[in-house]
Amino acid sequence: MASIEQPPGEAKPAPESYEPGSEADFERLYRNSYRRILGTLITLVRDRATAEDCAQETYERAFRHWKEWRPEASAEAWLHRIAINVAISDRRRQKLRQAGELVRRLGRPGAGPDPSVVAERSDLFQAMKKLPPKQTAVLVLRHYHGYSNREIAAALGVPEQTVASRLAAARQHLQAVLGRR
Amino acid sequence: MSDIERQLEVELHRVLDPISATPIPPRRSAGNRTAARTVLGGAGAALTLKLLTGVAVAAAAVTVAGAATTGSINPVIWGQQVSQHVADCKAKLTDGQHGIGDCVSDFSNQHGQAVASDARHHGNPSGSANGHGNNPNANDHAKNKNKGRSTQTKGASNGQDPTDPPVHATVTLSPQP
Repeated sequence: MASIEQPPGEAKPAPESYEPGSEADFERLYRNSYRRILGTLITLVRDRATAEDCAQETYERAFRHWKEWRPEASAEAWLHRIAINVAISDRRRQKLRQAGELVRRLGRPGAGPDPSVVAERSDLFQAMKKLPPKQTAVLVLRHYHGYSNREIAAALGVPEQTVASRLAAARQHLQAVLGRR
Repeated sequence: MSDIERQLEVELHRVLDPISATPIPPRRSAGNRTAARTVLGGAGAALTLKLLTGVAVAAAAVTVAGAATTGSINPVIWGQQVSQHVADCKAKLTDGQHGIGDCVSDFSNQHGQAVASDARHHGNPSGSANGHGNNPNANDHAKNKNKGRSTQTKGASNGQDPTDPPVHATVTLSPQP
């Protein structure tokens, strides 16, 4: 049985109530959740600028379906689900772009490191970015946002057992990567 | 909590906590999305690719068909040759006869076959090196057009040249009871 207790030291904001379809409420949801959604996306995509772009796309998609959202589910969990799908789509597009860039840069020196991403250049963070996005997402939701396995399962629309196995696989992979260094 | 979990939390907080100090940008509405991104990204990219492929295939088909008919890949020459033959066909029409479709169709058939055979004689069994005379579809289309159609039907509909005078087909009406 998967554990559902909160990791220590995590304080989740009290759930706010929103009315589906209300533009004012959606704006409030945006203000309340933007930074956390951006945080999740930064771990899933290659850089901060892409994460910001994906965050905006997440809210665009969410707004299109805002009338269909049911208040029984957590609005932020719903946004996380959309954000993860946006990040997965972005990774696919990125793979296509990389092939084109490789041809374009052929014979030229690569650009220097972007100062904004130097902070993200730790071994652990880089190893995490190389995980499958669904594994990275459960790590962030669990270890940064403090969601329980049950909440993650509800947010992602998967069984709790799947969340537990994704977490275990992700931790095992990170341990292996860090152990090799 | 295991070491890796502790390390992970420390690392996530180190990287992601500074985000809480950043200002929240205004929400982008769907209307602000750039046209380029719509075309180049996601489903737009797939649709654009399909559309471009379709256009390229259609252009190639037109080129091959035109080259097969006229023996040249220059579209200006296609136009001149076709105009010439249309004029010839019109001149051949006798009084009271309408429709030059068959005449023009015969020209495309004969010329396509001649070019294909020419290509084979020049040591190109497929006849494809010069890009003309080997389009079986172009010829077949012309052949198929003739199948099962009477001259009158053709003259009254598809085979009619746009420059022809209006066709007034003879219609026999049986008297209503």
